[in-house]
Amino acid sequence: MRTSSWIWRITACASALATIVLVIGFIYAWNDINYPQGEPLAAGSDSGSESPSAPGAVPGNGSGADQEEQAGKDEDTTTAQPLPDHLNVTAIGDSLAKGTGDNTGSGFVRRSIDQLNGDGRSAKLLANLAINGMTTEALLPKLDDKGIRYALQRANVIMLSIGGNDLFQNSGLLSEETDPDALEIDPVKLMALLPEASERLQSILQKLRAINPDARIIYVGLYHPFADLKELQIPGNIVVSTWNHSVMEIVNQDPNMTLVPTFDLFQHKLDAYLSSDHFHPNGAGYQAIADRIVQGLK
Amino acid sequence: MSNLVPLIQNECLKIMKRKRFYVVLLVLLVLVPMFTYAQMKAAERSQEKFNSDWRLELQQRITDNENSLSSDRVPDEWKRYRQIFIQQMQYYLEHDVNPNHPNGVTFTREFLNNAISLFIPLLIMAIASDIVSGERTSGTIKMLLTRPVKRWKVLLSKLVALLMFVSLIVLSTFIIAYLISGLAFGYKGFDIPVFTGFRIVGSEVDMTGVHAVPQWMYLLMQGGLVWFVGICVAMLAFMVSVLVRSTAASIVIMMAALIAGNILTNMASAWSSAKYLFMVNLNLTDYLAGNLPPIEGMSLNFSLAVLAVWAVCAVIVSFSVFTRRDILN
Repeated sequence: MRTSSWIWRITACASALATIVLVIGFIYAWNDINYPQGEPLAAGSDSGSESPSAPGAVPGNGSGADQEEQAGKDEDTTTAQPLPDHLNVTAIGDSLAKGTGDNTGSGFVRRSIDQLNGDGRSAKLLANLAINGMTTEALLPKLDDKGIRYALQRANVIMLSIGGNDLFQNSGLLSEETDPDALEIDPVKLMALLPEASERLQSILQKLRAINPDARIIYVGLYHPFADLKELQIPGNIVVSTWNHSVMEIVNQDPNMTLVPTFDLFQHKLDAYLSSDHFHPNGAGYQAIADRIVQGLK
Repeated sequence: MSNLVPLIQNECLKIMKRKRFYVVLLVLLVLVPMFTYAQMKAAERSQEKFNSDWRLELQQRITDNENSLSSDRVPDEWKRYRQIFIQQMQYYLEHDVNPNHPNGVTFTREFLNNAISLFIPLLIMAIASDIVSGERTSGTIKMLLTRPVKRWKVLLSKLVALLMFVSLIVLSTFIIAYLISGLAFGYKGFDIPVFTGFRIVGSEVDMTGVHAVPQWMYLLMQGGLVWFVGICVAMLAFMVSVLVRSTAASIVIMMAALIAGNILTNMASAWSSAKYLFMVNLNLTDYLAGNLPPIEGMSLNFSLAVLAVWAVCAVIVSFSVFTRRDILN
């Protein structure tokens, strides 16, 4: 009987206490949800102790080499800097960077990283920020996002693929691709799109450089996915190579930027390299791009 | 009134002596380590991939969600959910706060978020479902009612004892989840800021009301909401226990209702009058986290009102049935 009364007392007290605490919590919750008090937040609350490094600092491994690299850069900006031992890759851009069309889902980003690792280099994918259907117009404001800037700052190799959607999607080619006869490419209209788009690309590359002054930026050039359609072959080739050429001119301004050409790779091998949507590369096509990227990084 | 307290005492002792409460604790002690282990594995994997850099991980999640927005196969409701998720995660990134900082407190918070709609109600049912029907199965109800006490007092004492145990169950869930997950993730983390006050307007998130609360405060508020859900579920289970003769049947009925609610919420249903069912309104903590409610037009006050109406009706039904019905075996 004694134990019974003790059990009762303890249970009663504990549950009374618990109830009081929980009711208080309930009142707070009700208040907080119904009358949320927005407050201007001090950017960077206390948990973010290791706040993202300033754009100048190259984070991570091989810091000694990085410092030398930076020092070297200050003195001489005309030569490309040697790559550090560990490659930290961040990819950004459109479906090509994402790997759409690749059955394994790897895309050229993962394939080139795998190949680098196989060749004895140490490479790691930090983040793949590519989004299907990305255009230069959509990418530009994205570069102001803190998370994206952070991922770019942490990298020492940035892979960029952009522009394909500017050229081909705006022209309406993609939506009607099943019916090639209905396609009417207007080279004049396409050419008119080019200057704007390449201007935006220039701002993108400048922004990337401002975000990360030391990374190797690899731009993957465009190929012409409709080169096997007679009426599109010549005008399309002209547009694509004009684009690639204008990109080359921008890229040449910066010794640490590279354009990896793909135009010649795909020109006569569309059957072998394109996936079933006839726009994105398949696994073999991505592998071919990756091979080129790796050759430039070895 | 004076003879009510001994009755409550008697009921509490019965619950304790029947070891129902210990079963609840045992279930928690067995299951929480499992969840902790699963969480630990997930944390390890993401650490391998992202080198424990939460910003990269969060950004990658945002990008992945953005990619799924362009897919035609994703239903529109999910797209809205993901858009909201993206905006919230971007808010966390902008303010340099890790929403999933791995520690015991965060685990408890996440665990309770997931437990509120099914797990906690289940634990409460372990006690509630048999509180009346159990006595009828064993026949002891007759002994109870032959005493010179009014029937409604007997029932009230049972209800009060049940509600006492609801509080105990909710609190012990918090404590056990914290203590066990702390072994794996560490016991710190009470001060980490958590954002709350996201208001959802269409598929946009209104950020004007967003503010940071320390995590302990968030847990407290969560506890209050879980407690409210627990009370309502307890009252409903209580009613079923009065109406149904066998404990097994009473458990099955409540289980079916709860699981149906879970399925309905996951369907993000277009059937909008389903929002008047109690079981789709159990996810009260979603309002705290700013998640999209399962059906349009639901808000905290709406859900609270629906739950309260159901609970009050349940109590009225149980009392009127219990005081009138013949207890024959």
